Amino acid sequence: MSHIRTKNIGGVNQARRIFMQRASALSVAGVATPWALNLAAMGDASAAGATDYKAIVCVFLYGGNDYANTLVPYDAASYAAYQALRPSLAYTRDALTPTLLTSATAPIDSGGVSRQFALAPSMASLVPLFNGGQMAALLNVGTLMQPTSKAQYRAKSVPLPPKLFSHNDQSSIWQSSAPEGAQTGWGGRMGDLFASSNGNSTFTCINVAGNAVFLTGQNAVQYQVSTSGPMSVAALKSNLFGSKACSDTLRALITQNSGNMLEAEHARVVRRALDSNDSMSAALAGSPALATTFPAGNSLADQLKLVARMISVGASMGTRRQVFFVSIGGFDMHDGLVSKHGPLLAKVADAMAAFYASTKEMGMADKVTAFTASDFGRTLTANNDGSDHGWGSMQFVLGGAVKGASFYGTAPILANDGPDDVGQGRLVPTTSVDQLAATLGGWLGVSDTDLTLVLPKLANFNASSRKLGFA
Amino acid sequence: MHYRPALAALFATTAALAACGGSGSPTSSPAPAPPPAEPPTQAEAARFLSQVGMGMSRDTLNAVQSLGYAAWIDQQMSMPVQDKRWDWLVANKFDTATNKFSDRGFDNVAWRKLIVAPDVLRQRVTLALSELLVIGLEGLPGPWGAFSAANYLDLLEANAFGNYRTLLQHVSQNAAMGGYLTFKGNAKADPKKGSLPDENYARELLQLFTIGLTQLNLDGSIKLVNGQPQDTYTQDDVTGLARVFTGWDRDMTGTTDDSIEFTRRPMIQTAAKHESGSKTFLGYTVAAGADGAASLTQALDALFTHPNMAPFISRQLIQRLVTSNPTPAYIGRVAAVFNNDGKGVKGNLAAVVKTLLLDSEARDTKVAEQAGFGKLREPILRCVAWARTFGAGSKSGQWTMGNVAEPSYQLGQAPLRSPSVFNFFRPGYTPPGSAIGQAGMVAPEFQITNETSVVGYLNFMQRLVAGQHGDIEGSYSSLIPMADQSQTLIDEINLLLTGKALSSATLSSIKAAIDSMPGGTDSYRLYRVYATTVLMLASPEFIVQK
Repeated sequence: MSHIRTKNIGGVNQARRIFMQRASALSVAGVATPWALNLAAMGDASAAGATDYKAIVCVFLYGGNDYANTLVPYDAASYAAYQALRPSLAYTRDALTPTLLTSATAPIDSGGVSRQFALAPSMASLVPLFNGGQMAALLNVGTLMQPTSKAQYRAKSVPLPPKLFSHNDQSSIWQSSAPEGAQTGWGGRMGDLFASSNGNSTFTCINVAGNAVFLTGQNAVQYQVSTSGPMSVAALKSNLFGSKACSDTLRALITQNSGNMLEAEHARVVRRALDSNDSMSAALAGSPALATTFPAGNSLADQLKLVARMISVGASMGTRRQVFFVSIGGFDMHDGLVSKHGPLLAKVADAMAAFYASTKEMGMADKVTAFTASDFGRTLTANNDGSDHGWGSMQFVLGGAVKGASFYGTAPILANDGPDDVGQGRLVPTTSVDQLAATLGGWLGVSDTDLTLVLPKLANFNASSRKLGFA
Repeated sequence: MHYRPALAALFATTAALAACGGSGSPTSSPAPAPPPAEPPTQAEAARFLSQVGMGMSRDTLNAVQSLGYAAWIDQQMSMPVQDKRWDWLVANKFDTATNKFSDRGFDNVAWRKLIVAPDVLRQRVTLALSELLVIGLEGLPGPWGAFSAANYLDLLEANAFGNYRTLLQHVSQNAAMGGYLTFKGNAKADPKKGSLPDENYARELLQLFTIGLTQLNLDGSIKLVNGQPQDTYTQDDVTGLARVFTGWDRDMTGTTDDSIEFTRRPMIQTAAKHESGSKTFLGYTVAAGADGAASLTQALDALFTHPNMAPFISRQLIQRLVTSNPTPAYIGRVAAVFNNDGKGVKGNLAAVVKTLLLDSEARDTKVAEQAGFGKLREPILRCVAWARTFGAGSKSGQWTMGNVAEPSYQLGQAPLRSPSVFNFFRPGYTPPGSAIGQAGMVAPEFQITNETSVVGYLNFMQRLVAGQHGDIEGSYSSLIPMADQSQTLIDEINLLLTGKALSSATLSSIKAAIDSMPGGTDSYRLYRVYATTVLMLASPEFIVQK
């Protein structure tokens, strides 16, 4: 995209103009241009010339987090409904008192009634961050193609997200707006916009949790690194069985192109590994140690600690905008929810609290926004000792730039087949993932127009409601 | 069971087909090309063995060449099922109380069987089935995880050339699966507690083990109605089917969980916990009053008539053994055999496996030259290819491979250590931003291939090859005598390890490197063997099976 690289000559408007010219030239020529191509073509138009540093961090809770035992109804009426609908799973109200969340404005449910929420008792480490204004809660957020009512869901009178209640598809839609098989995710599509302003575009999208469509763009490729940090090929660091010729041959073999597409792709991954692992290793080796203590025996904390270290060297490596992905599994609690859910949420809360503390320590707290996501919410009613797959859920955003101590969105009315659920407390989302994404993207510097390209369903939402206002 | 009329007609068509004895296949898959009449060349036999086996010896190569593909497959399939993993764990005293809440022993016995079992085709198909009917060791609740998982692999192995319907029955009553997908202990709805049956197994049985999410044609292509794909089931179907999977629990008759015994017993029914009302899903109704066993049998029978079953399972078996992107015609030919093995039997896995291996698309070396043909060898298969080629053994006799699933320092994959029921990789996975994706193709194994894993693999294999693993060691004694003749050495390893997969250019570059190494003593010769092996294991031409 160097031919439209403009950040030194005309900034955003110049890039925008060139992009519009290019886009219109393409359409005049009658070439079908999928939106993703448009996105790639405009590259520098959005947030070009950014000189500051910002990052978002997706904390994905794989398996579908149980919303009702995460952000727990607390006011007397809704607690009573919660307790009645899941007596075998419900916390006692007393147990929730220490983690009651306080906000300047009470959350309102879809019937117009003020509500109160507490965090799960095991999430106590996040309570000071919420009440202190660095964390906000998002109410009943989930995958949507457009605003959707329960009646519309029942009548199938509006497009619905495909493959509702299916793990792999709903996590894919969360991350990409399309079911499994999607080629790009919205984190990666934002990365496409920012890659050119990053000194080393390889590190625009970084995944510490393996592989997720979230971080793949049209051009942006996720750099995947494990919590052990970047790895080096032993046979290239020192001669393979004493032979430099063998090491040289190894390098040539593993990176060479091929007419077979699978071989070519494997070599592409290897080239990326060789190019990026050593530079990241070197940068990390030069970064000062963090004083913040991350909890031990917590894989999410291990991942977030590495993210914090990479953020600490981000600016010195020339990156301006970064999108990170971390994850923790085990949330598919069809059974054993009472014994397993609290401890797992404790890991999430403790890891995120430590991560916030580390960004504060680095003086980067207002440059980094973390948010939770999950396949779907779950049922409110219990099966024997767990809950089943649902749809809308509760999520959190955390960071110094977050307008915290607040709830965003509309609280659901707790019921089995009530106004907000399609049965068993499976919520019809009242806030779309795309609105969450647009808010984060806007904070990073993605323009409103570009947001509708990054998030193709966003245009189905009223322009005034596309951003939630939490950042 | 009562059918709704419209669906009854639909399924009756399939049932009639299944019973028609193979004459007339109205669903229009072209007949498979006859297997090659000529005996396979050495290169063809080696390529065949790299698909069906996991590394090879000169003996197996000779056997394939002299018997021909079909007879060799028959011979493999007729080998008795023996040497159960569960028994090996007992014999090696992994059932001591200290192991009750650990999975100690499982990696040992799983790798041992992959490496040494003589019935290599059965082992290959067992691994494939373990990636279709997935349980993951780390998701097994309760005690004796190693024994539960070992029994599960034994079950897949025993049924690998049996009937898929029978296999589904066993899997659905298996205690490890009951724990993994949480229907062990599942009870009928309790209005007082407001509880409903757990939907987990019902959903994954539909989505992953039988019919998938989208209606398919026999050739695996998506069935369109007015241009739109059609879902196979709704949430209501899941809720209805979940009622079938109530009342099952571990069989603790005369035993306790201090004993490993329950891990090899099928689950049993508790009538009071089973939903006695009717169960309706996909247009079927299991009538009220049917007990747990009858409900299960009827539900699986009903699912088994679904037209998706054959293409859904056939495509994935082809992907596991031969190529990531089989043509619709290839899928259709295999699916037709799934529906009817020629003797009126549906679900005959032996016939399906044999068909997919003998199909012209699998055997034709011209097809293999197409840019999109083949599959990434998953790390387990690369490692086993090395182990079998070099007769790897265990110094301790205990096969202490360890958990090698970690990708930074280890192999990045280990048997039954998928992180979820969705397997290590999904059949529809496409590497993002790739030419493969732009071509509309898939490459499942790339889901676990990344900047970390490619490095971890190279380092792990280098240590393993050079005898630095600690317990698992290759034997190179037969190669030492030829190691001073680099061409001979390279030809031999290329034949047995890669199935002659390397191009002449790659072989030349390896030869040049090996020629630069000193020789003349056994320790130098050993380094030449190591280096040749590592270079071949690292080559994309080996890593992709074509």
